[in-house]
Amino acid sequence: MRLFKKISLPFLASDINQYLIVLFVIALTALLCRPLSNQQGYYIVSFILLFVVSIMAVFLGIGPILLASTASSLVWNFFFIPPHYALHIERTEDKLMFGSFFFIALINGVLTNRIRRQEVLALEREERTNAIFELTRELSNTSGIKEILDVAFKDVKKYFDAASICFLKEKENTFEILARKGKENDNIRMDYKIAEWVFKNSIKAGRFTEFYNETGLTYYPLTGKRLNPGIVTIEFEKRLSEEKEIFWIGYLAQISNALERELLSELALKARLLGESDKLYKTLFTLISHEFRIPIATIMGASDTLLISQTTDLNRTDLFNEIFKASARLNHLVENLLNMSRLESGKISVHLDWCDVNDLLNKVTRILKKELENYNLKSSIPVEMPLVRLDFGLMEQVIYNLILNSCQYTPSGSIIMFNADYIDGYLVIIVEDNGAGFPPELLDRVFQKFFRVDNSKAGGLGLGLSIVKGLVEAHKGTVKVENQQNSGVRFTITIPTGIPDMKQIKFDQ
Amino acid sequence: MSEFETILIIDDEVQIRRLLEITLTSNGYKTLIASDGKEGFTSAATHHPSLIILDLGLPDIDGLEVLVKLREWFTRPIIILTVRNSEDDIVHALDKGANDYLTKPFRSGELLARIRTAIRLNAEKADMPVIEFGSLRIDLINHVVRKNDEIVKFTATEFSLLSLLAKNQGRVLTHQFLLKEIWGYSYLEQTQYLRVFIAQLRKKIEEDPSKPELLITESGIGYRFRD
Repeated sequence: MRLFKKISLPFLASDINQYLIVLFVIALTALLCRPLSNQQGYYIVSFILLFVVSIMAVFLGIGPILLASTASSLVWNFFFIPPHYALHIERTEDKLMFGSFFFIALINGVLTNRIRRQEVLALEREERTNAIFELTRELSNTSGIKEILDVAFKDVKKYFDAASICFLKEKENTFEILARKGKENDNIRMDYKIAEWVFKNSIKAGRFTEFYNETGLTYYPLTGKRLNPGIVTIEFEKRLSEEKEIFWIGYLAQISNALERELLSELALKARLLGESDKLYKTLFTLISHEFRIPIATIMGASDTLLISQTTDLNRTDLFNEIFKASARLNHLVENLLNMSRLESGKISVHLDWCDVNDLLNKVTRILKKELENYNLKSSIPVEMPLVRLDFGLMEQVIYNLILNSCQYTPSGSIIMFNADYIDGYLVIIVEDNGAGFPPELLDRVFQKFFRVDNSKAGGLGLGLSIVKGLVEAHKGTVKVENQQNSGVRFTITIPTGIPDMKQIKFDQ
Repeated sequence: MSEFETILIIDDEVQIRRLLEITLTSNGYKTLIASDGKEGFTSAATHHPSLIILDLGLPDIDGLEVLVKLREWFTRPIIILTVRNSEDDIVHALDKGANDYLTKPFRSGELLARIRTAIRLNAEKADMPVIEFGSLRIDLINHVVRKNDEIVKFTATEFSLLSLLAKNQGRVLTHQFLLKEIWGYSYLEQTQYLRVFIAQLRKKIEEDPSKPELLITESGIGYRFRD
């Protein structure tokens, strides 16, 4: 009598209640009709009883309705048809009347009940269609396996009387539970052998099925056109009706579709990333072989000359100088590659310590002494500039790369400006030059790996600025680049930092 | 002084060993070669070299471990060789008794300067009363510093920091070592003290405090008074 749960009259839920109600209602009607029959005759009572049975047919199951029909006939006969208080009927028309009453009550009750049942079935069907539609709609708006499964499992308990449901995905020849809803202990009872069998054969198995039915769970394969997303295990409270089973299979198909779509797009993304990294490798190899070949050629050529020929002392010094310069360039390339790979692999750890920005700049200008010989480096750091918390070594590389970049991209004699200040909790460093600036259309690409402005005299791998960006971001800061109004490029670094409480520092006399 | 000094090279890379060997012998040192930690121990124990150049990346034993074991009995200078971007290892090695460090690739001039400094500092048992550097003259006994013959005034802390660096002229001193020596153990993390006082020292002794030539910053490691 599950169907009648739809009409929310809870006291009708149990069969026994329904039979008791039938008896009670018939008895009550009979009692009330007693005075009426004295005045109007007993035929009127039969109509009233028929009416009451019809009403009950709307709400009650077929069993109670059969009882109602029989009981009402007997009650009418026993209490109302003369002779009263006897089942015996004297008059032939009364006998006929009784027969037709019983028949009408039966037909009436059964028909009303059937209409009602049809209606409930139609309602249920509509509800299922809606449920599937709703599921499809919601699934189309979700992305990610977890989210899909969340949506998919949300109403399973409500629709299918399931105690628990799990999604298993194959992973390295075994299965892992990617999502679960309901009772927790199903993990223990999960039989991965059955799961594997179901996955391999794409046939349902487990409880209420033909295979492996001595278990508490039912295993359903999720199948797709191009790949099989996995397995759903469900713990039903009772066997599904045929219609419910169809509903359930439809429901699973939607889940399966959504998962397949997601898995395929993941695969596509992986393939694209692979393709991209493949492209990157090719760029890298071309670039590296090109960039490395020049200094290597210099070193080989120069040392070969030194070995085989009797050059003058002056030429020897020149050749040695060339070898030294070429190896310095090689070293710089390797440093940049190493730094980039450390940044990319997240292996850079930032050791924050109090730093004097003056010291930072001094250090860099010392290292870049040779490169800066032909440039005019000006700096502006306020006298009251506080100490800031930075990783000295990493920030040294940042400043080094920015100043070196300016040296490489501007003609000799250019002015390079270094400004630092502490503004509202931020260290702001500006490095600018009065060179030609970047072509405006390339500005938003200057921090990209392996990006180089064509025809630059610099050469290099195009890693310097992307290392700057990586290191500044490792400090939770930002770096931006812009062309200045008049000429030249400006890099602005902003890093959040505290400053020390100078009052605490004890100065002696 | 360096005429007959013997230097033990512990490094597993043949090319670096040969380079060091050539550089050192052509500058008047005798060399001993070890290609791993075990060989290094044996050679150090047998020959008592004047100085050891130790690569931190050895195939058999971790370089730091070799350093610690050597320091159990070897009191002469040890200079470590390491790759760049390994400030932590360097500071660790310096704390464990290494006298100085060089990062690969290094310049031969720098290597020779480090060796000279280390051997000199090791030989000078008695404190020099006066240290002179260019126009700067530090009288350690009377606590007087003159620059271009004019007396420069220092506070007590400033002077102890300056004299500590100057006495170890040419040698790198780690942040932690300086903080511990000047301010004490409870100040080991207070690097801001060091930054402030170094900046003050530079203002007083450098020709151009924005281009320090005497007090050299060693990124992430410490400071060195120029040799």
